[in-house]
Amino acid sequence: MMFDRAYRQRLEADLARWEADGVITPAALGAIRASLPPLSPGFNIAVVVAIVGGLLIAAAFLAFVAAHWIEIARLSRLAMLFAGIFIAHGLGGWFARSGQPVLADLSAAVGALIFGAAIALIGQMYHLGGDFAGGMLLWAMGALAAAALTGSRGALAVALATAVIWSWMRVFETNVPHFEFAVFWLLAAGLALAWNSRAAAHLVAVAALPWWIACSFQPNFDFRPSFVLANGAVLLFGGGLALAASASDRAARAGAVFSTYGAFSLAGVAILEATLASEFVRPPDGLVNQPLWTISCGVAGVIFAFAATAMTRRAGTAFAASAIGLVLIAVAIWTPRQSGGPWLAYAALLCAMLCLVVSGMLDAARPRIVAGWLGIAGVIAAITWAVKGSLLNRSIFLAVAGMVAVALALVLNRLMPRSRE
Amino acid sequence: MTTMSVASLAERLARIPKFVLFGAAALVQVALLALMIVDRVQILRDGAEVTLQTRPVDPRDFLRGDYVVLGYDITQLPAGSLQNQPSSERHPLVYVKLAPNRDGVYEALSVHASPVELASPEVLIRGRLTYGATCGPKRDLFCEKLSIRYNLESYFVPEGEGRKLEDLRNQRKLAVVAAVLPSGRAAIKRLLIDGKPVYEEPWF
Repeated sequence: MMFDRAYRQRLEADLARWEADGVITPAALGAIRASLPPLSPGFNIAVVVAIVGGLLIAAAFLAFVAAHWIEIARLSRLAMLFAGIFIAHGLGGWFARSGQPVLADLSAAVGALIFGAAIALIGQMYHLGGDFAGGMLLWAMGALAAAALTGSRGALAVALATAVIWSWMRVFETNVPHFEFAVFWLLAAGLALAWNSRAAAHLVAVAALPWWIACSFQPNFDFRPSFVLANGAVLLFGGGLALAASASDRAARAGAVFSTYGAFSLAGVAILEATLASEFVRPPDGLVNQPLWTISCGVAGVIFAFAATAMTRRAGTAFAASAIGLVLIAVAIWTPRQSGGPWLAYAALLCAMLCLVVSGMLDAARPRIVAGWLGIAGVIAAITWAVKGSLLNRSIFLAVAGMVAVALALVLNRLMPRSRE
Repeated sequence: MTTMSVASLAERLARIPKFVLFGAAALVQVALLALMIVDRVQILRDGAEVTLQTRPVDPRDFLRGDYVVLGYDITQLPAGSLQNQPSSERHPLVYVKLAPNRDGVYEALSVHASPVELASPEVLIRGRLTYGATCGPKRDLFCEKLSIRYNLESYFVPEGEGRKLEDLRNQRKLAVVAAVLPSGRAAIKRLLIDGKPVYEEPWF
C-alpha cells in the first residue's frame, strides 16, 4: 500500500515531464491515468484517532473488570468473557459491512486477543493452570479459525505467534522435533495463498524461522545446529523459488516473499557455518548421525530450486539454485581436524553468496542482493576472525580468493557484451 | 490445481455475508472455551474420588498472587522398576497406580510408562514428569527419583485466603479430593481441612 503510493507519486512526476517533453500526447496521459486502479483507502487521521479512542475505552473497561473480578460470580465472569468475544467480532462484522476493512481486520485481531485472555482466565477460574502449551495451542486454533473465516491478517498474526510459542514449549518438553507445527504452518500458508496477500505471506514466512531455530538448538548434540538450519533455509528458499516460478499468480506472489526470507536465511546460515566451521562442534562421523528428515528437507529444497530453474529458464534462478547447492555442500562436507582450516567450506560459502548477489541482480530482486552482500561480509568477517587455526594460512586463503575474484572480474569484463557506452 | 481449489474456496467464502463469517468466528472461539469447561465437568462428574495428602512445597513461601501451589505426597516418587528404562521424551507422561491406606488417603504403589491393569480399589492417575527422565550417559533413561505434575498443583482462591491455606498445607492438615477418569486425567474436586470439606468445586 505504502509502496503503491510512492510509485504513484513518481509516475505522476514522470507523466508530467513526458507530456511537457512531448513524449506522450495528452490523450495518452488520460488513458494511462484511467488505466490505474484506485488506491486503497488505507489509514486516515480520523481512523487513527478512532483506534486510539477504542483502545483507551477497552483498557478502561479491562481495568474496571479486573478491580472487581474476584467479587463477580464465576458464571457472570464467564458470560463477560463470552460477551467480549462476541462484541469484538460483532464490531468486526459491522465495520466489514460498512466498508472499513482495516478496522474489521483489527476487530477480529482484538477478538482473538480477548479469546486468549479468556483461556487464561478460565484456566484460573477452573484451576486448569497446568498445561500452558496446551492453552497456547487452543489459542492458536481459535485465532486461526477466526482468521480463516474473517480474512483478518491481525488474527493470523496472533495465531502464528501463539503457535510458535506452543511449538517452542512442546519442543523443550519433549526434546524431539515438533512436526505438529508444520501442519499448522501449512494451514496458515494455505490462507496466505487463498487471500493472495503479501502481508499474510510475510507473516507465514517469518513464523517458519523460529521453528527451525528451535529444532536446531535442541540439546541433542548428535546433530549440528548449522546443518539443521541450512536445510531449513534451503527448503524455504527453494520452495519459494518454485512457487514464484509457478503459473498461478497468487502462488508466484507468495513464492517471491518466501524466497526473500529464504535468501536471508541462507545468508545467515552461511555466516553461522563459516563461524562454526573451524570449531570443534563437528561430530566425527559427519553426516551419518544427522536426522533423515532434515536431510530430506534439504534435498527437497534443492530439487525445488532446480525445478524452478528448469521452469523459468532464467539465469537468475539458476544462480540462486547454485547458491543453495553450494551452501548445502559447505555444511555437508566434513573437514578432518588435522587437515588444517576448512578451506573448501569457506570457498563454497563465498561462491554461494556471490551467486546470491548475481542472482538478485539478474532477477532484479533487491532483497536477494542485500542478503548476498550481507552474507559475503559476514563470511569474510568469520574467516578473518576465526578463533582457531593459523592467521597466516587464513590470510593466504583470503588473498588467493581475492585474486581469483579479480581475475574472474577481468574475464567477465572481456566476455560480457557492453551496453550503453 | 491446489491453488485453483484454494482460489475457488476463497471465492465461495467471499459470497457469504461478512456478518455471518464474523459471527461464526466468535462462535468457534466460544465453543473452544466451553469445551475447556465441559472437559473439566466430565472429569468431576465421571471421575473416581481420590483423596490426596498435600505437603509443603519447596520453597515454602510459594503463594503467588491469589493461588496456592499444592505439592502432594505423590509428587515425588521412587521410580522403582522404571529406573534405567529408556524414556521417549524429556518430560514424558507417566501413570501412577494409587491405592487407599487405612485412613482412606490414596498412596502411590508404582509408576509406569504406560497404562496398566488395576485391581479393585486401585486407581491410575496420569502425570507428566518435571524431572526424572534424563539420566544415564545419553540422558535418556528414567532416574531413581521422579517429580510428577498432575495438573492438580494450583488452586485459585479469593484474595487473602491463600495464606491460610498455605499454613494449613505446611502443617499437613490440607488434603485434596481429586476426580480421576479411567484415562488417568484428574481435576480438583474439593479441599479438606482435617478431613472436613471446605471448598467444594461447582461444575460451572
